Amino acid sequence: MSERLLARAAIYGALTLFAAFYLVPLAVVMLNSVRSTEDINHSSVIGLPSVYVWGNFAHTWSSYCIAEHCTGIQPYFWNSLRMVIPATVISTLLGALNGYSLALWRFRGDTLVFGIITLGVFLPEQMKLVPWAIVLRDLGLFNTISGLVLIHVIQGISFTTLFCRNYYVSIPADLLKAARIDGAGFFRIFWRIVLPLSPPILIVTVIWQFTGIWNEFLYGVTFSTGENQPVTAALIALSAQISQAPQYGQQSAAVLMAAAPTLLVYLFGGRYFVRGLTSGAVK
Amino acid sequence: MPQISRRAILAGSAAMLAIPTTPHAQGAGGAKPKVTVISQWSAGSDGAAITTLGKEFERQGGIWEHNPVPGFTTEMMNKLRAQIIAGDPPAASQLKGPEIAAWSKVGAVVNLDEQVKEAGYEAVVPAELARLSKPNGHWIALPIQAYRINTLFVSKKAADRIGMTSLPTTWSEFNAAAEKMKAAGITPVANGGIKWDDGMKWEIALCGISPDAYRKAVMELDAKTLQGPEVLAAFRQFRKLGEWSDPGSAGQHYSTFIPRYMKGDMGMLLMGGWAQGVFKNAGFQLSDYMVGPAPQDDGKVAFDLNADEFIFWQKKQPEFQQGQKLLAKIVMGKAFGPMYSQITGSLPVRTDTDLSDPGFSDGQREAARAMSEAVKANRVVLSLAHNMAQTNQIAAAMIDVLTEYVHDNRIKAEEGQKRLVEAVDSIR
Amino acid sequence: MMAWRQRWDRILPHLVIWPPLLVSCAYVLVFSVWTTWVSFTRSTLLPDYSWAGVRNYTAMLASRNWQIAFTNLFIYGACFVVLAMAVGLLLAVLIDQRIRGENLFRTIFLYPIAVSFVVTGTVWGWLFNPSIGVQKLVHDLGWTSFRFDWVIDRNMAIYTIVVAAVWHGSGFAMALFLAGLRSVDADLVKAAQIDGAGAWRIYTRVVLPTIGPIFVAVLVMLLQFAIKTYDLVVALTAGGPGLASTLPALVVYDFMFQRGELGRGAAAAVMLLGSLTVVLIPYAGFRAWQNRRGAARV
Repeated sequence: MSERLLARAAIYGALTLFAAFYLVPLAVVMLNSVRSTEDINHSSVIGLPSVYVWGNFAHTWSSYCIAEHCTGIQPYFWNSLRMVIPATVISTLLGALNGYSLALWRFRGDTLVFGIITLGVFLPEQMKLVPWAIVLRDLGLFNTISGLVLIHVIQGISFTTLFCRNYYVSIPADLLKAARIDGAGFFRIFWRIVLPLSPPILIVTVIWQFTGIWNEFLYGVTFSTGENQPVTAALIALSAQISQAPQYGQQSAAVLMAAAPTLLVYLFGGRYFVRGLTSGAVK
Repeated sequence: MPQISRRAILAGSAAMLAIPTTPHAQGAGGAKPKVTVISQWSAGSDGAAITTLGKEFERQGGIWEHNPVPGFTTEMMNKLRAQIIAGDPPAASQLKGPEIAAWSKVGAVVNLDEQVKEAGYEAVVPAELARLSKPNGHWIALPIQAYRINTLFVSKKAADRIGMTSLPTTWSEFNAAAEKMKAAGITPVANGGIKWDDGMKWEIALCGISPDAYRKAVMELDAKTLQGPEVLAAFRQFRKLGEWSDPGSAGQHYSTFIPRYMKGDMGMLLMGGWAQGVFKNAGFQLSDYMVGPAPQDDGKVAFDLNADEFIFWQKKQPEFQQGQKLLAKIVMGKAFGPMYSQITGSLPVRTDTDLSDPGFSDGQREAARAMSEAVKANRVVLSLAHNMAQTNQIAAAMIDVLTEYVHDNRIKAEEGQKRLVEAVDSIR
Repeated sequence: MMAWRQRWDRILPHLVIWPPLLVSCAYVLVFSVWTTWVSFTRSTLLPDYSWAGVRNYTAMLASRNWQIAFTNLFIYGACFVVLAMAVGLLLAVLIDQRIRGENLFRTIFLYPIAVSFVVTGTVWGWLFNPSIGVQKLVHDLGWTSFRFDWVIDRNMAIYTIVVAAVWHGSGFAMALFLAGLRSVDADLVKAAQIDGAGAWRIYTRVVLPTIGPIFVAVLVMLLQFAIKTYDLVVALTAGGPGLASTLPALVVYDFMFQRGELGRGAAAAVMLLGSLTVVLIPYAGFRAWQNRRGAARV
């Protein structure tokens, strides 16, 4: 019994140590978000606030001037949501479908197709910038949020397919065989068997897509203008430029607010990780 | 795919062939003059200045649409590239140095000769800027503000600690002061250590040793001067500047050190004139530091110039052509310089601007005086680190050598110079 | 009527399956071919389709930037992938021990992925900076001989990027592993427990082998991180000191856009992807072999 206790203590000890390591940067940013620019400039970016300044949040959210519009990051935040929600949902659904057909409805050449799609995750953003400009021009989607959604869906399918396919291959073949004998078709099996098994991988996929698209900067800045720009563009506008004194306090507040939606996805998605859900649904 | 390429080529050549239209057909459509502008000035004093320009544009009856690209110059150029590919360039965009010439070859630009002549503008801007603005003999871009790169800022507290009362005027005075500071436990140089900062320290060293050598070596890439004693001396001074910097300066933006600098823990900062605006925004007073020209060994004035410009892209719509005319008129006007430079802390490009207005600082007045004197004495040189002297391609290759050199003490000055010569040879 | 219905049922899945598969393949192939093509042209500021031969490749191979970046990629890539996988798996297994506060721990480990690379790099840059970060903190506490100055050390700077990248990516590896662990059939584990197998044995013999494909997903995910690492370096070390911590993606971006050398940047991108296939081809062969065996078994 004491051995078991020791093991539990070791587990919690290790988890706590790791948690501390992961939390350090967050602590630094949180502390800075309530410090004034003068405070930081007169001491250091790492330190306790001499006076707590809560105004950083309200100011960056709704009244900081970016590009002649003193609206804070708020409108850009909504732009990002308008871009990230459809792009995440569509790419996750298509990825689940792709993964399902590649993993469970094998066809001739499926490995090659999967290989090519997987290669897509390796293409560096920089390399695709000019071709995407040509594609958007030809589709007439330049400077639109739809254009950005299109880019993120197509690039995202590579990732979502990879995750889902590799998850679905571990679904026992017997389950599907039984269903097929019962006369279930392609969609019925997807809907009744595969989807109920999917929450853990779907939450991983959604997290991946949501955060990746949310934090993407290069395309957002290049392929959208003015009031259509995503929040990352606004964040960069807040950050240091050659001829600017950095506004660490406001930057930190903005970073925290911009990360809020992703954190919410984790918190609400977390319960889908719980063990037992899968076995309960199948049997 | 071949289709895409063919279309791109067609679009490109069509743009090239487009006749420079002279927009005299105003009033026909009755539309208000309009401009779309892209720049990297999204926030802070730069953002405020361009907003003021926009307001002035609107006051004179135009429609102003500014699309700032936050971040750095490269992102701004990506946007410009994408818009040119899309066949919809902005009416005007921020661009500087020899890139004006390079970009004017990939898109059709507006010929501003007539307006420049009407305004008598060429006579009142530094010849170096005029040369950059008319790469093929025709004006296609207009300068909007200038900065002096070779500027020295000394922390008042650090100066007091070593009893320094005036700025060092030569490199040997500078070096003596730095040694004193070091002995007093002060980090003598407060610069950062990212690429452009490294390139800038070297160029300030060379400009201070000999502006003529700078012109030959950096601007003309003259092989003999590049291998000459002045460039070697610049490498030696550059090494000293590096060794006097904070050991943690590698990869750091200079603004990281402002708190320690102002406290007197760091002594001297070699930085463009914009640092004044940065200090002001960070909550420091003019009494916290001394500012003036960087050391100049021959005791005469020299001016290492950095300037921002607008390039004008051809648009078919008459309202845009009218808008471009209006924008050019405002930018060339006498009132523009004071309006813009008082916000950003830069220097007006018109050498006939009156800086007695209280909106200007003594630092700006001193630098502006230096600029007009240097123009007369033909001692203006163009900044390497800020992409004024060479195209980005050549400048980047040279700065790579400089940044590697200064962060690696094992490289001897002679070796550094040799590598610089090789880097230039490989792309020349 | 019946026949029509049946045929429709057979066709419909194909109509649904193929468009996304084809679009994803076309995207990869067209963009890769286009870039390869540009890498053989004289493109500078804009694509220019006039043939230049292998000039861009020889120029890139001769450049110091590329040589340093490519060497760094191997150091950084190997360290990052191994460390992030190890940490991710360890955390997933620890969390899988029916612990209290699972939600809290999981969120703490996962949140870094929500933080953009720019912010990650900036904040770690502060911590690593000897003048303001950890070193200064320890000095202020009284241990003045303490040194932690990797970020300014030419030989160690690349490892600061490893630390920041592991901090950023290991939580996501954990999430994938955790999803995998929870896809394992509970009956299998129970059966092993009945056989009297210990926890270690159950993991190494029963659980981990069944989530093999998840390992692949994690590996691919981390590899692509490593290859595409860009903003992190820009914000953390700016490639310095000097060029000491530059990476291929920085070189690609630098040449393509900052220097306006689209052709050379494309050549660098092609070489980057080419080096990847050196890793992937043996793996693909292994998979094909495994598949054939698998197919035979079913």
